[in-house]
Amino acid sequence: MSTSTAERTIEDILLAPEAIPVMPPKTLMKEALEMMTASRLGLACVLDGDGRLVGLFTDGDLRRLLLRSQKPLSALFSDDIIDHARTNFTSVDRNTCLEDALSLLQEREIFDLPVLDADGKLEGVIHLHPALKAILDA
Amino acid sequence: MISKVIEVGGGDVSAVAIGGAGPLVFLGGPCAIESRDHALEMAERIGAICRKLDIPWIYKSCYDKDCRSSAGSFHGIGIDEGLEILAEVRSSRGVPVVCDFSDAAWAAHTATVVDFLQIPAYLCRQTHILQAAGETGKPVHLKKGQFMSPWNMKNSVRKIEATGNEQILLTDRGTFFGYNMLVNDYRNFPIMAEAGYPVCFDATHSVQLPTSMGNISGGQREFIPALVRAAAGCGINALFMEIHDNPDEALSDANTQLDIQYLENILAQAKATHEVRLELLDKWGEDNVHLDG
Repeated sequence: MSTSTAERTIEDILLAPEAIPVMPPKTLMKEALEMMTASRLGLACVLDGDGRLVGLFTDGDLRRLLLRSQKPLSALFSDDIIDHARTNFTSVDRNTCLEDALSLLQEREIFDLPVLDADGKLEGVIHLHPALKAILDA
Repeated sequence: MISKVIEVGGGDVSAVAIGGAGPLVFLGGPCAIESRDHALEMAERIGAICRKLDIPWIYKSCYDKDCRSSAGSFHGIGIDEGLEILAEVRSSRGVPVVCDFSDAAWAAHTATVVDFLQIPAYLCRQTHILQAAGETGKPVHLKKGQFMSPWNMKNSVRKIEATGNEQILLTDRGTFFGYNMLVNDYRNFPIMAEAGYPVCFDATHSVQLPTSMGNISGGQREFIPALVRAAAGCGINALFMEIHDNPDEALSDANTQLDIQYLENILAQAKATHEVRLELLDKWGEDNVHLDG
């Protein structure tokens, strides 16, 4: 890892909440999947009424769900996103250095890291592709 | 799943709580308001049975029967006279009343009298109807359409919730099985309960054979007791049955309304089964067989 990634924070590769599919817990799965598809990010961030991140659902979660669920697809589409979102997830704060964030992505073999403030409110997401671009542009 | 509790009535009539781990509530009365005297007499007789069994009760009867097989069938007594009669039932017996409506424009007027607004099963997707019911602020009795999956009822629930009204009872009245035939899928109760609201079993409409007799619906009333016990054992918060003193001569749903002579027997069994269900819930907890083992 280069020195520059250790010195840089994630600030300049942070995807703002406006660029991320964020939704309330009672969003139907069907609607959540449409929002994920439109964003091309492969994740859904579930926020409570105060903007706190209460669940995360990714393309990988969807694959595992489809292999496990015995429900008709129409029933699965009608579930709420919070029924299937993970409530335990790895997150960082916005002062995290780029190197640490990249290490987490690699260690956990994940594509996305939510960035939360001290109250658990979503400030954005670190996505692998902008992070790679930051390295290549350095 | 332990549902939220909704409250129907109160004030000058009894307050009936539906849901949670509370007692089984009965919604019952003649399908249609046939006359003032008949409505009051049925209210008196049903009320006596419910008091004897100590079962919370909401009187049900409707002023307009829009969903009939034939244009020649009885269409109802009309909104103005019907609401006057329901108001008299309500004030003279101290019982809350539930009545359906099939035109969004009737919701507000209906809500000036009734305690509980019912959405007919065939209209359970109609946005204007659902919004109109929700906007009255009164609790809403939402019946699952015979053509609807239980999970898709969430869309109808959300339409009511969007008005700020979160007092909803979800009822199963059978599901189409081919033509002119309904069956009961008891998975519908726990599935609909996932929406967070209390659930109800409509026993008399469940045994209906829709328009099976050419221009009217048939029905197999003999199955009502067995279906009621099964539903109460499965887990419901309320039981709905249409009751008549002479079903064969009833002006609507003659083949499915339950003769009042059987009401005490069936309600007593429903209450006993519900109480056993609550004891099991207390002893063993909520159902916890999950997908992940």
